[in-house]
Amino acid sequence: MSHLPPEIPVTEARRSLWQRASIVWLVPLSALLIALGVAWQSYHDRGPLIEVSFEEAKGIHAGETELRYRDVTVGLVEEVSFADDLRRVNATIRVDKTIADYIDDDARFWIVTPQVTAQGVSGLDTVLSGVFIEAVWDSAAEGLSLVHEGQDEAPLLRPGEEGITMELRALPGATLTDSTPILYKNIPVGRIGKPQITNGGEAAVAQAVIYAPYDRLITTATRFWDASGFSFSLGPQGVRLNFDSVSSLLTGGVAFETLASGGIPITDSTSFQVFAAEKEARESLFNDNSQPGVNVTIIFEDNVSGLDVGAPVELGGLVIGEVVSLTGVLDPLRFRDDRVRLMVNVELRPGQLGLGDETGEEQVLTFLDTRIENGLRARLTTASILTGGLKIELVEIEDAEQDRLDYTGTPFPIMPSSQAQVSDTAATAQGVFQRLNNLPIEELLDSAIGFLNTATALTADPDLTQVPADVRALLGDVRGLVGSDEVQALPVQVASLITTISDTTTDLRRIAQSLEEAQAVDRLLAAVDAAGSAATTVSSSFDGVPELIQSLNNVAHTAETLPLDSLVAQATGVVSAAETLLRDDGLQALPEQLGAALDEIRAALGELRDGGAVENLNATFSSAQEAAAAIQDAAGRLPEITRRLDTVMVQANKTLAGLEPNSELNRAARGALTEVERAARAVESLARALERRPNSLILGR
Amino acid sequence: MGRSEHAPVITARQAGLVGCRRCARAWPMGTQTCGACGSHLKSRDDASLQRVWAWWIAGLMAYIPANLYPMLETRTLFISQSNTIVGGAIDLASHGSYGVATIILVASVLIPIGKFLAIAYLAISVHRSDQSPGHPRQTLFEVVEYIGRWSMIDVFVVAILASLVHLGSVASISPGPASLTFSLSVICTMLSAQSFDSRLIWDQLDPQEDTTT
Repeated sequence: MSHLPPEIPVTEARRSLWQRASIVWLVPLSALLIALGVAWQSYHDRGPLIEVSFEEAKGIHAGETELRYRDVTVGLVEEVSFADDLRRVNATIRVDKTIADYIDDDARFWIVTPQVTAQGVSGLDTVLSGVFIEAVWDSAAEGLSLVHEGQDEAPLLRPGEEGITMELRALPGATLTDSTPILYKNIPVGRIGKPQITNGGEAAVAQAVIYAPYDRLITTATRFWDASGFSFSLGPQGVRLNFDSVSSLLTGGVAFETLASGGIPITDSTSFQVFAAEKEARESLFNDNSQPGVNVTIIFEDNVSGLDVGAPVELGGLVIGEVVSLTGVLDPLRFRDDRVRLMVNVELRPGQLGLGDETGEEQVLTFLDTRIENGLRARLTTASILTGGLKIELVEIEDAEQDRLDYTGTPFPIMPSSQAQVSDTAATAQGVFQRLNNLPIEELLDSAIGFLNTATALTADPDLTQVPADVRALLGDVRGLVGSDEVQALPVQVASLITTISDTTTDLRRIAQSLEEAQAVDRLLAAVDAAGSAATTVSSSFDGVPELIQSLNNVAHTAETLPLDSLVAQATGVVSAAETLLRDDGLQALPEQLGAALDEIRAALGELRDGGAVENLNATFSSAQEAAAAIQDAAGRLPEITRRLDTVMVQANKTLAGLEPNSELNRAARGALTEVERAARAVESLARALERRPNSLILGR
Repeated sequence: MGRSEHAPVITARQAGLVGCRRCARAWPMGTQTCGACGSHLKSRDDASLQRVWAWWIAGLMAYIPANLYPMLETRTLFISQSNTIVGGAIDLASHGSYGVATIILVASVLIPIGKFLAIAYLAISVHRSDQSPGHPRQTLFEVVEYIGRWSMIDVFVVAILASLVHLGSVASISPGPASLTFSLSVICTMLSAQSFDSRLIWDQLDPQEDTTT
């Protein structure tokens, strides 16, 4: 402690504050500057506060809910409060400064919430992240507007979408569903907004939008209809089943079509009607009250059922109007009778006639009048064979009576009509069956059976079969006569008697034939008469034979019950009997025997010539001449028989021609008749041969 | 005034010595350079308090936004969530994770604030030549200096999560602005604590008192 140096007065150099300050101070200083800079920056960049009021907050939270424009966050809700009267909720939103100027009076705000509809799910991201407020405004910055009123629904035209908005009004039967698509040729081109009921409660209306570029498809001539699901209709045009789109079947939808030319483009918020179906929409062109139709009355002579109110009036296949009312009319003064006629009032559309929408009634009637002078007439035609519905067709009838439009008609000018062209299938078919039912099938067959019975009885008659035997006996007698000594002894006078003999042989031939048929003739005639009358009955009752074919069922049914079997059996019996008769050996051997007899006669005559026993001959010849005269008389009736047989054949043929060609009965009967015919021919040819060469029997040639 | 149980302290300065802070060798007062390790010798750091306050202020300035801005931004498929430090801790606590919430609160709130208070107290006490005993203040300083680095635990958690959870759009975690300012704040306070020349604690003590002890 002792040798401490004296305190050296150290006067520290007073350094300036700047010199003494540590360089570390720069750190907080720069931090301060940065903080201030950041604070100023954020203040400077802070956007303005706007206030948007909503019906309800729907999940808006202060500090969380964002404001989005085209899905870009442009603001944040800072405060949620009530309006003064608690009627609405005010959301105070801090918006970005950059877009603030665009939030002008036309800005619209709505709350995006998750929605699950038939069209799909939207706003799914808001399920977890919470709702957000979406806004839309135009691209013109017209200055910030601080107070806005939020909308309940998103506007139909979203940001960035262009199109045209319109109002759709649902007609009865049509349904408007929120957010359903508007289809054009089954492609969604627009959307329907939330439907509302009009103030008067008379209709449902909804805003709708058609997106560009399809908006130019919409004109005043456009018609909308409810395309949801499918429709089934049964009308004068037949059955109609209409699907539009399966998706719209589930979700609903509205389709449209511009059905007529000449519409003018619409402006925003034009009102359209939505029809329940496409058909109605198309027909609505006729009901367009802005274009009054031209009413015309048509009176039809035919009172045909099947015409209804609403039935189309067509000109050349084009629907130009429809039936508005129809009634019966009784006007003895006008028509000079008491018949009830069908009076139809139709409404014609000038636009559909191609005369233009502006055409007045006068011009339309003048046009019609001109056409009527050229033969235009109204007539009823079948619209559908299935339903029997009728329509009215305006057609030009050639060489129609001169006529004019009757302007004096009540209630409207009367247009002349023409004969209906109705193919009444039902009536025709019914008539066919009616006539078939009336055919006397049973009587016809009874007659045929009777005829055949008689024929069988005739051919089976033992007398008839006896004829050849008789002839043979006769010839035997003749042979015996010729072979007698007296005859043998007459050769001398024979030469002078040749001519007489020739006549006699002719008579002999005839008597042989006559004898063969003598007893048959009467019976045959009777049979032929019976057959003839039967055939007459048959042929007269067969006037309606052409219709017989259409009633095959009935006929067949009736035929089943008929005694066909016995009939055929009898016919077969007749035929076989006839065949038996004709093939009878005796009959066939007749000419031979005759020839033999004549040979013998010739031989006898030769002997006579040689012998000269003429004296006995005179008596013999006179008796023979008597016999020959009798034979001639009988033979003279042969052509008559032939002719009658022919008549029978003709009638029977006629009868059979009307019968079913292939039936068993017909074949059998035909066979029988053929046999009969063949018999007749044989008789005839025999007769002809004898006529031509009377001596052939005698000469054997 | 109650005395501590510590033995009386004589500082190197009072002994006319200057100690090397690196190799702890004492040299006579006035020696400029340590003969052993060559480091600059200085008996007292004149600018110590200045630097302490400068870092302290910077740290505090960084700490304010660190608590106001979100520390962690979590984005899952539909939801985006950001939490401040305290908000996150409360969130965890409300989900029942009291332990984690406590750790976060202690590491991110309690310790930094305690550090601020402790450093400020030490600096003020030195500045005012406070006569309060030196030993507790020395202990406090050591504790502050030791514990300061643990405040970074929150930043580490954020860094690890942000690098681990990167599942594209499904889920991702990214550090919020607070993580930056919070780490700045921690760094500043650590620097502030380090700038403090703890020898100053002892200079202001009354030598009489010391000698009487």
